[in-house]
Parts: sequence; structure tokens; C-alpha cells
Amino acid sequence: MQTPSFKGTHLWDRLCWAKENLEAYQSDYRVVYEDSIDECAKILVPDPNWMACALQGGILPPVWVYHELAKDEAQPDFKKHTRGYLLHETEPVGAMTEEEAIEYLIMKDCPQSVWQDWDSGNRPKMVICRKEQLPQTREWRNAWRISSEIAA
Amino acid sequence: MAGKIIADTIETGAGADISTSYVVNGSAKAWVNFTQISTQTVRDSFNISSITDVSSGRTFPISYTSNMSDGNYVGSLYQNAVTGTGYINFDNQYVGGFGSKTTSSFGERSYGSSGDIDSNAVELIIQGDLA
Repeated sequence: MQTPSFKGTHLWDRLCWAKENLEAYQSDYRVVYEDSIDECAKILVPDPNWMACALQGGILPPVWVYHELAKDEAQPDFKKHTRGYLLHETEPVGAMTEEEAIEYLIMKDCPQSVWQDWDSGNRPKMVICRKEQLPQTREWRNAWRISSEIAA
Repeated sequence: MAGKIIADTIETGAGADISTSYVVNGSAKAWVNFTQISTQTVRDSFNISSITDVSSGRTFPISYTSNMSDGNYVGSLYQNAVTGTGYINFDNQYVGGFGSKTTSSFGERSYGSSGDIDSNAVELIIQGDLA
């Protein structure tokens, strides 16, 4: 199905179109990351409807738009967004592969402190894996760490 | 985009009318239905890009695709704090948590009689203003 020309269309309206016209896609990829040595590993799970938008192309804004909005919100005098138009008026990105979509999602939803230097320490802070590689039970969930086995 | 309708009011057959702003502002801006059992998985959603499994019973952030305008929006949360999904499966004499709201995400905590616990049914609706 061809994506309509969405430039200038409110992102929420684009998501309405996607919900009606695209089939949700459950990705098997998971992103395991550690952003604090005092906390257990966190696992990012892609949303199936978002993944459908990423694979389709022409719907989602470039990831830098979210970074700009995050900068605005980090200002001490932030009250509400005044540059929301960046989400709606910036040319949408094209179709991504599943792997490219995961990279985009990492940059959108993981802390920058994790993905900017994920491999610069003694051990990796982030791993992209398949969900089958994660423990099949939730035992000791609150003590999970990235294992050297999965990091390799 | 084809099929666009621009209207300031909506009128019923009986002649009652309301401003379309009531409809636009009153619509849910995001919703999500997910499980925390095993590998956390989103069953279905709208305007959500990802969820993050933080630990038992805790999911944060749950991120928006289209950001909210500010952090003063509201949400309705149901979490059943057990492994079933039927209407008879719940342990919610304890209240789950909904908070850590920013314009890009929020968090959810499932809590039952045994403390933080993975819920098979976590259901959230978000209302407020979009950026």
C-alpha cells in the first residue's frame, strides 16, 4: 500500500491512517541496556503498530525532531512545547528495514548516555538481541545484568 | 490527504450541536494494552513507540510517537496484578502506579498483595493535549 503524501499532516493523523491501514508487526528484537550500575538491566520492547509505521515509511518524523523536543523540555523554564510543529511539518522519513527501525528506536527511546558510548567502557552497556535469547522465566528479574554470553 | 473534513460544529438529527473541539480535545491521545509476563509484549496500542521492562511489575518509559504538549495530561490505568486476563483474575485491592509523566513518556507499576508483580493485563488510556 502506498503511503499518502503526509508532509504537513499532523503526526497523530498519520498514526490514525496507519492504524486503519497497516498490519501491526511484532518484532522479535529486544534492546537490553544498563543505564545505572545500581539497577538491573532494562529491556526495550518495540511497539507493533510503531514498527508497522517504520517499515511502511513516510509516516514517522526524523529522530532528530525528538531530540530537539527533548532539549526544549530539559530547559528549567519549560512549561509546554512550542515547537510541536517539528513533529508535523518535517518531511517524514522513508521506509526502514527492521534493523534500521531498531536503531532509530534506540536513538528515540533509550537514554543518550547509553547509546552514544555504549561500547566505550569495560563492558557493553547495550545489546540488541532476539527475545528468545532472554531468560524464559522471570526468576531473579530484579537482578538481571547483560551477560558476556549475550554481549558477544 | 484524501477524505478531509473541516467543520467547526457537529449537529445531531435532533438539532443538538457541539463544537468539534469537544471531540478533538476529548479524544484519547494514546492507549496501550500490554503484558508484563515473560518478555513484556504490547498486544495493541495507539501512539506508542515502545515500552521498557525495568524490573518485576515495572514498565518505564512507555514512550509516545506523537509527544504530548506538557506533563499535565491524565491517564486511566488498570493492572490486574495476576497472571490471568479474565474478569475474575485480579489482585487489585492494591493500586498500581501511573506517573513519571513527561511529554515523551510515562511509567507504570503493577503492585499486588505480594509487592511488585508482573501483570498479564496492563491497560492504559491517555488524555490531554498533543504537542
